[in-house]
Amino acid sequence: MNPLHLLAFGPTGWGDELAYGAAMTLVIAALGFAGGLVLGLPIAAARLSSNVVLRAISGVYVTVVRGVPELLVIYLLFFGGGQFYRYVADALGYSGAVAADAFSAGVLAVILICAAYSAEVFRGAFQAIPKGQIEAANAFGMTRSTLFCRIKLPQMLRYALPSIANVWQLVLKDTALVSVTGLVELMRTIDVAAGSTRSPFLFYMTAILIFLAFTAVSNKAFEGAERHFSRSVIGGYGK
Amino acid sequence: MNKTELPASQPGLAVPTIESRDLRKSFGAVEVLKGVSFKAYEHQVISIIGASGSGKSTFLRCLNFLEAPSSGEIDFKGRSLEIGGGRAPTRIEIEGLRRRTGMVFQQFNLWSHWTVLENIIKVPIHVHGVPRQQAVQRAMDLLAKVGLREKVNAYPASLSGGQQQRVAIARALAVEPELLLFDEPTSALDPELVGEVLAVIRALAKEGRTMLVVTHEMSFAREVSDKVVFFHDGRIEEEGPPAEVLRQPRSPRLGAFLKSVR
Amino acid sequence: MRWDVFFGSFPTLLSALPVTLELAVISITLGFLLAVLLAAARLSGLRALAALAYAYVYVIRGTPLLAQVFFVYYGLGQLDAMRNSILWPVFREAYACALIALSLNTAAYGSEIIRGGLLSVPRGQIEAAKAFGLSPTQRFRHVVFPQALRAMLPAYGNELILMLKGTSLASTITIIELTGQARILASETYAPIEVFLAAGAIYLGLNVVLSFGVRLLEGRVQRSGGFAMEG
Ligand SMILES: Nc1ncnc2c1ncn2[C@@H]1O[C@H](COP(=O)(O)OP(=O)(O)OP(=O)(O)O)[C@@H](O)[C@H]1O
Ligand SMILES: [Mg+2]
Repeated sequence: MNPLHLLAFGPTGWGDELAYGAAMTLVIAALGFAGGLVLGLPIAAARLSSNVVLRAISGVYVTVVRGVPELLVIYLLFFGGGQFYRYVADALGYSGAVAADAFSAGVLAVILICAAYSAEVFRGAFQAIPKGQIEAANAFGMTRSTLFCRIKLPQMLRYALPSIANVWQLVLKDTALVSVTGLVELMRTIDVAAGSTRSPFLFYMTAILIFLAFTAVSNKAFEGAERHFSRSVIGGYGK
Repeated sequence: MNKTELPASQPGLAVPTIESRDLRKSFGAVEVLKGVSFKAYEHQVISIIGASGSGKSTFLRCLNFLEAPSSGEIDFKGRSLEIGGGRAPTRIEIEGLRRRTGMVFQQFNLWSHWTVLENIIKVPIHVHGVPRQQAVQRAMDLLAKVGLREKVNAYPASLSGGQQQRVAIARALAVEPELLLFDEPTSALDPELVGEVLAVIRALAKEGRTMLVVTHEMSFAREVSDKVVFFHDGRIEEEGPPAEVLRQPRSPRLGAFLKSVR
Repeated sequence: MRWDVFFGSFPTLLSALPVTLELAVISITLGFLLAVLLAAARLSGLRALAALAYAYVYVIRGTPLLAQVFFVYYGLGQLDAMRNSILWPVFREAYACALIALSLNTAAYGSEIIRGGLLSVPRGQIEAAKAFGLSPTQRFRHVVFPQALRAMLPAYGNELILMLKGTSLASTITIIELTGQARILASETYAPIEVFLAAGAIYLGLNVVLSFGVRLLEGRVQRSGGFAMEG
């Protein structure tokens, strides 16, 4: 029998399960990425702030999250989440079963990780803005909020884009780790399929090809975005 | 200031556009401005000359508070902004002063994420509340004036240095400033591009705009300005009409400086 | 937070630290050697060789390390060709598979860093060295290498940290290194928060030391203008 039958859609193959898993992976990655970027911006601002306390807190956050294995962050949120809910339940006098939900633990883990990495990217990009352009804005009497929204933010995003593409790659790959919680995303589906069909080679190869496809598509998308945003610069940024 | 130093055309009783009294500025322990008292009247074109490191840029940048002066007083159109001993000017006051002045930088400092047109219209629209259509109309007129109408949709990075500086001048004019500050506007330019920028600045002088120009171009200072101010070691060493100051310098230091740039 | 459990878990966790360190040191070393070869292949000027190296780097960088670990351990083990080969005793071992996957992974990232470092040396400087009659070896030793080293050291330091963290994935194929030990201890003590935080503190400590070491090295290279110029 042709082993590729295992990848067919319908009741005999794993095609539809894989498609569901891949969709779930993309959902986790997208939520984690979006949340991470939104959280990363204020962290970057705190890193650059003149306030010592803000600088210290954000610096510790970034160092800790980037210095600890992603897998451990996921374990902490998933298993530790249950313990945390237990404390809350006990405090409320509830003695029934409580469990952390794998989806929210996974998304939260990706958000926290993405926030740390994107904060560093944003920080570098803010610092890359030529000082003279900010000075010129000051010389014309721009208020701080106008300066931020009209000059700093758009310039920063343009400088950040190439590295943000790398953060997206990181996020996409980190979602595979969420499979350790048993959440049925792509990697988990692959594990189950590989085990129950006794065809690990085929399925892990499939996993690699699907991730490669994701990578190729997102590379193209970011290249397009970069070309669009760096049209004001001869030759463009990045590569 | 001695009245005889003013050009004859200046009404001596008028309020100066900008005036500094005993302006001082230190970077750490180093005092870079050692008490500068200075007046500029409406329609005056004043050239500021002096050796490198004498404090010309620092002085200009103190006038619009890009550098915070350490002590002294600045009056803009008769309104005093005190520094040091007195009440420090608020951010609102500083922004207010900056909105009535325009500055042109040595390194142009155009905003690289915007086109030429956007560079010119954004400040009028977002800072001064000028309607967009009116801002665009004015920008087009200014671009025609600096000879760059065809570059309206170009990005700064695609322009030559001389073109960028002319856009920067248009940007400064777009806010209809009561005072124009130039910090060595031609020093970053290749020699063949200096002329086109100086021509624009000369035209502005003819219009009767009030301008302070830090420059190393002695011929420009001689031909265009009403007054020349020579900085030495953080002080005004000598000032007066160009014919006197540049032809018969009284200070031996100015004499030496003029020999060195010739 | 039960602090007694938090502090009490350190001895057990630290007993697994040698496995983590061993995985990291061996895979970083093997990975570096392979990275040099890959970078050389990409810069060799031989189209086919460069394309092959590029494809390798693209695949590794475009897929999760976890998938690579599972592929080497479970996927390759399924093949008859592998089971009948002389390599089978190696690929049968989870530990060896973890080492192989980690080395293959870091080699791809490392080769990009090395390549970037070599390419960062301005062409004009190499030309000038040629003009002064330096041999290719001399050019590399005195001009290219010191500058490339300086350019790539920060990025390679970062890669070392990523690798140290990456060893945690060995726990997914039954190896009891730091993270594996933490999982066992967490289920034994029913105190996952305390145990995982303790494990995180150990990783963090290691990485802080590691990045400090890299920074020291950077300072040395900066001052001396590269190791090659010393002595
Ligand atoms: N931000 C700063 N921090 C410390 N010192 C400064 C700073 N800015 C200027 N200085 C010092 O102040 C002195 C005067 O500098 P300034 O730029 O005003 O000179 P300048 O007359 O404009 O010279 P140039 O003709 O080279 O532009 C110099 O010695 C300079 O090193
Ligand atoms: Mg200057």
